[in-house]
Amino acid sequence: MLEFIKFELNYRFSRPVTYIYFLIVFLMAFLATSTDIVRAGGSGGKVMENAPVVITALMLAIMIFAIFITSAVMGVPVLRDFEHKTDSMVFTTPVSKWQYLSGKFIGSFIIVLLISSGLLLGAMFGQSFQWPWKDNMDNLMAFNFMYYWNPYVIFVLPNLFIFSAIFFLGGSLGKKMTVVYAQGIILFMGYLVAQTFLAELDNQNLAAILDPFGFGSLAVTTQYWTVAEQNTQFIPFSGFILYNRLVWGAVGIASLAFLFIRFNFQLAGNASRKTKKKGTREERELKDQVIESPVVQQIFGFSAQLTQIRSLSWFYFKWIIKQVPFISIALAGVAFVFIIAFVGGTGGYDIEVYMTSSRAVDMIGIFNLFFIIITVFYTGEIVWKERDVKMNLIYDALPFPNYVSTASKFIGMVLMSIFILIMLMVCGILIQLIKGYPVIEWNVYLTSLFGDTLALMVLYLILGLFVQALVNHKFVGFGLMFAFYISMIVMSEVGIEHAMFYFGRASVGNYSEMNNYGHYLTPFSWFNLYWFGLAAIFYAVAILFTVRGIDSSFAVRLKLGQQRMTRNALVTIVGALIIFAGSGAYIYYNTNVLNEYQNSDDGKADRARYERTLNQYEWIAQPKIIDTYVDVDLYPKSRDFKASGYYVLKNKSDETIDQIHIQKSVDNQLTTALSFEGGFSVDTVYEDFKYTVFNLDSPLAPGDSVKMNFDVVFTTVGFKESGSNTDVVYNGTFFNNSAYFPSIGYNSGFELSSDDDRKEQDLEVKERMMETDDPRGVAQSLFGDDADKISFEVVVSTDSSQIAIAPGYLQKKWNEGDRVYYHYKMDTPMVNFYSIISADFVVIKDTWQPPVDTLPEVNLEIYYNKGHEYNTERMMNGMKEALTYYTKNFSPYQFRQLRIMEFPKYRSFAQSFANTVPFSEGIGFIQNIKTNDVDLPFYVTAHEVAHQWWGHQVTEAGVKGNAMLSETLSQYSALMVMKKNFKPEIIKEFLKHELNSYLMGRTFEQKKEMPLYQVEGQGYIHYRKGSLVMYALQDYIGEDSVNAALKRFNEDWAFKDAPYPTSKDLISYYREVTPDSLQYIITDMFETITLFENKTTEAEYEKVSDTEYIVDLDVSTIKYQADSLGNEEAQELKDWIDIGVFAEGSDGKDSLIYLQKHKISQEENSFTLTVGAEPVKAGIDPINKLIDRNPKDNVKSVTEKEEAI
Amino acid sequence: MNLSIQNLSKTYPNGVQALKDVNLEIPVGMFGLLGPNGAGKSSLMRTIATLQEPDTGSIQLGDLNVLTQKTEVRKVLGYLPQEFGVYPKVSAIDLLDHIAVLKGITNGKERTKLVKSLLQKTNLWQHRKKGLGGYSGGMKQRFGIAQALISDPKLIIVDEPTAGLDPAERNRFLNLLSEIGENTVVILSTHIVDDVKELCTNMAIINQGEVLKTGNPLEAISEVEGKIWSKTIEKEELPTYQDKFNVISERLIAGKPEIHVHSDGRPDDSFAPKVADLEDVYFSRIKESTQPAEVAV
Repeated sequence: MLEFIKFELNYRFSRPVTYIYFLIVFLMAFLATSTDIVRAGGSGGKVMENAPVVITALMLAIMIFAIFITSAVMGVPVLRDFEHKTDSMVFTTPVSKWQYLSGKFIGSFIIVLLISSGLLLGAMFGQSFQWPWKDNMDNLMAFNFMYYWNPYVIFVLPNLFIFSAIFFLGGSLGKKMTVVYAQGIILFMGYLVAQTFLAELDNQNLAAILDPFGFGSLAVTTQYWTVAEQNTQFIPFSGFILYNRLVWGAVGIASLAFLFIRFNFQLAGNASRKTKKKGTREERELKDQVIESPVVQQIFGFSAQLTQIRSLSWFYFKWIIKQVPFISIALAGVAFVFIIAFVGGTGGYDIEVYMTSSRAVDMIGIFNLFFIIITVFYTGEIVWKERDVKMNLIYDALPFPNYVSTASKFIGMVLMSIFILIMLMVCGILIQLIKGYPVIEWNVYLTSLFGDTLALMVLYLILGLFVQALVNHKFVGFGLMFAFYISMIVMSEVGIEHAMFYFGRASVGNYSEMNNYGHYLTPFSWFNLYWFGLAAIFYAVAILFTVRGIDSSFAVRLKLGQQRMTRNALVTIVGALIIFAGSGAYIYYNTNVLNEYQNSDDGKADRARYERTLNQYEWIAQPKIIDTYVDVDLYPKSRDFKASGYYVLKNKSDETIDQIHIQKSVDNQLTTALSFEGGFSVDTVYEDFKYTVFNLDSPLAPGDSVKMNFDVVFTTVGFKESGSNTDVVYNGTFFNNSAYFPSIGYNSGFELSSDDDRKEQDLEVKERMMETDDPRGVAQSLFGDDADKISFEVVVSTDSSQIAIAPGYLQKKWNEGDRVYYHYKMDTPMVNFYSIISADFVVIKDTWQPPVDTLPEVNLEIYYNKGHEYNTERMMNGMKEALTYYTKNFSPYQFRQLRIMEFPKYRSFAQSFANTVPFSEGIGFIQNIKTNDVDLPFYVTAHEVAHQWWGHQVTEAGVKGNAMLSETLSQYSALMVMKKNFKPEIIKEFLKHELNSYLMGRTFEQKKEMPLYQVEGQGYIHYRKGSLVMYALQDYIGEDSVNAALKRFNEDWAFKDAPYPTSKDLISYYREVTPDSLQYIITDMFETITLFENKTTEAEYEKVSDTEYIVDLDVSTIKYQADSLGNEEAQELKDWIDIGVFAEGSDGKDSLIYLQKHKISQEENSFTLTVGAEPVKAGIDPINKLIDRNPKDNVKSVTEKEEAI
Repeated sequence: MNLSIQNLSKTYPNGVQALKDVNLEIPVGMFGLLGPNGAGKSSLMRTIATLQEPDTGSIQLGDLNVLTQKTEVRKVLGYLPQEFGVYPKVSAIDLLDHIAVLKGITNGKERTKLVKSLLQKTNLWQHRKKGLGGYSGGMKQRFGIAQALISDPKLIIVDEPTAGLDPAERNRFLNLLSEIGENTVVILSTHIVDDVKELCTNMAIINQGEVLKTGNPLEAISEVEGKIWSKTIEKEELPTYQDKFNVISERLIAGKPEIHVHSDGRPDDSFAPKVADLEDVYFSRIKESTQPAEVAV
């Protein structure tokens, strides 16, 4: 055995590739740690780059890339003996199978370990020095060997063993390297599937166990770690990580065991006897036959070549699809698509989204990378096929032109690609049918699979042919393809971002059932033309330089290449060159001449310059808009619009204003012309920033007004490199005023916000929002400082096939030619925030009668895309229930109309404008809501309707904590409507997701976590924590009390201009309705970051009689206060917390038979409760009202007390 | 249609000179290329088979320039390489059919007949459906010749076809070769002298890239007729004899070496005259060209 180990070591040490592997691993780790190319884990922001969690994620990511190294080293040791035919020599020596296999395994595994040490060394080396290219070292903690050793031992080492064992098994039993690669790909798919499972709360545990790399278990274990924990804690070898390691470790050991049992340590002599017998009989028959040579004709024309290509292509195709690795990869792909479709793949709140064709295609798209891998891999195999079986000399001497062989290999591979795609398409269709969504959109399958994916596969296929032909070494070819792929990742980091530099990049975009592929098809087609032009050149060159015969020296191939350069070849190359260059020029003209192209670094630099140049104007006195009128003409077919109108600007300050600063839209497709009535001149133009300072001929005295006319022309020209405009589209235009219409003064929204970006641009780190008490902040609403409330009137025209909608009431509708005009006017002042929408809609209408007779009837309308009627009833119902609850509990609805309009799923949100709610196609229209699901369309509708109160009636100040007044209150309002309409289980399910989202959000915090009343636009706080806190608040002090407070708050602040209310104002209303004994919860919930660790340690019961049971509970409670990074400090306990007992309900589910708040004033507490039915479970905070990072241990099964003997 | 080879030279990148100014005129009929392993036979054959580029020289097949009109040459070429593999899981009939397509037999019916006749001719018909991976060495060689014979090539190149075959298989194979039409140039390379003796009307002896001798085998034998002497000696005496005489070959007969000496006159009385055969021609030529001699039998 030692001999074999020594042999493997010597063999490996004598091969340069061993050192190259080490170098690759070392460099990957080094580059990942010493540059910003790779961002792994939660790094960025406040999480340190050498935190163990970050290094773990990084090492795991590198392991995914480096899996090919493990497979290359572990797959071959036994295989090599077969390939070199030394098997007979080895097997006939007096060694045992055990010695042979274990020797080979151990020897190779030692090499794998040595190579993997590059990971450790590279990472440590990369983070131990101040490299000149590294901007700052602020993101590094002092060096600690354990930061690296901890992930290495827990993840890297076990992974290496597991993969080594699996690959060793595959290589030794499969006797083909392809088997080993197939294993690698399937493991990688396992990782992909686990990733999709992770997105779902109920499947996370499964993902944690199933992920062969351990990523899933890492994610589940660390998903709630705060910034502080991420920076200080090591990865624990317990819980899911331990289980995952054990399960996969067992798989590794089982693989080895299986191999030791099954490996046949004898020679493979296999002349079958059966055929021989039959043979002799036939031979006898044959003797009588006269053998004469038939006359045949050799044909060499073009048609013969076509026949040859057909025959050869089919031959190659059949060969590939019979390959065991191919079959296993394909089947694994199919299996995983089904698994994802049926186990995973739900949307927010784990709600199933209808399996539309585009979703089925998206699911299949998860495997795009592996399509590329399989393509590149089999390209190498097929190019080398004849040489691998040593038939090349026979083939090469056959009289077919060079292109026939290359073309056949190419076509064979294309057939394979089509075969895979057809198979997956069938899967997609089957899944659609099984899932009960039988609307098969063939055009989606065709475009996405046979346009987009197939094009990508074919491009990589040609690249593979080209590389293999040129380097003429299979594995060097694979290596180059890998390096090529990696280099594309690196390129983006050095500022090369243009899609024209990224081989094969051509996106057909996100499919929307409203807008289909929209305007994406044009650039997609051009980019494909461009890439296929290049590919054709590659292809021609590959034919010219393909080795035929045995000469492989470059000089000879060059000579042969010249010989082969026929007129046809030349014409092909020149033609392809013209296509490539021509389409390239056209793309460049579109992306860089007609449109503006900027890479992200330049974009950041521009924003920094904007701030440096213009920040001086941030606080100068400027007038405010009080009246807006605009004519908008939309041209959906050409994706253009024109808008002309006016603002009436009023000087609300106490200074005279003689200069007006206007920020025009910076969109380069848009031009803006301005004029002021009463005379004006241009003072300064900052052309780069589209910022102009105007002098007014007659200065505005306080209280004076001026009318500003503007003309905006938006013209879509050509196409953009990326970030193409999805606001103005063929069907489903949706934009708001802030993006395109002129605004007043400096826009601090353009400033860079992330600390990292600001440091990079040498700007001071800034606060995300103004302080709550900042008078400048309190003087402006969350909608900005351009206006308080405005009067609003708009005429929108659009193509007559569409309906155009804006806030306000329809005054008049008329047609002119093929255009239709809608005149909307709002009859009360509204916030300066309005949207323009146009699409081909179906409408359903209803009315809502307010609960108070004196109030007017409200028209309810839903404008949706045909075919999206699944949830419109739920939305309609949501509007009614929400309007009723809010009118009853807060104040009357201020409008006589409420409209929901669907817009394409390029963006996934719903947004509340005055009496109109644009609602994304993606988040409510295509969800398949089942009985026990959170009714997402209902909830989103109720939330948006609530904004008509919280945002439109009461508009808050634009300062820290503002979202607690709009978003948190809308969450609360929607929750109360849901509570009234749905079972408690659904509310519980909803809150479970809110808790998860809040805790996850903390992990990814880039700057600092704020208490709710100081929230700085952090969605995980104002939405998610907001829901939890508000639900708990109404539970503690009563729904009525909360509503009373909100009603008063509304009365005092609704329909008011500056000063605007802040979170501090709202809290005082809450405090008013909260009894003294519970005042602390206001502090805990709104003013601090408070978390609980509640746990039930012991739960027993004693039966007194059938209707009397005594339950003994031991529970523990810790209350923490966390700082902005998540450092926790235990707090003194003086809290009221629920204690609850469950019994089995009539429906078989647990139902609460006891729920009471008890005063908790120490960590360990015991309770003795008497209940009337047999208890099953009991615990503290049993329905998770408090924020708790381990909500599952709050409740425990109750066991019957054993009598002491 | 003659094959004419002029001044052909080839040096491999590793410095080995495989062909040194080779000149050969090969008429129709069976031509034997005789030489030890590594003599350059395969290099020469591959060059003729359009699979390798020479450094200098030219090859003409009738009107065709073999080095530039490769496709034309391939149309009339049948080639059986020295070592070749097959797709183990593909049956003989399928693979032969497949190769026939590539040889331009695009008419399906014709092809079916042709494949059948070739498989029958090579005695593989009964094994036609068997995967080639299960073929014995001889069967594989026969398959090799079957594919080389597709569409009556004008130039057939068979490189060491009998190496590794048992005597019965070898005979079978040679019989096959002998049936090939008379209008065809057949080049057979071998290191087995008997192959040439039994089959070829013309031959060349080649060693270390050089042509040592060309001509008709019988004429070649007559050149050494009466100059070959044999003697049975003791093993330990061998070096002495090798020093003293022009020993061209030795072989063991019943455990004792019998040496053959090339000498114009009888070396001494202990030597007996031997009837010269082609082997003696071969060994004497090789011996001349290689000092010290290293001969494999």
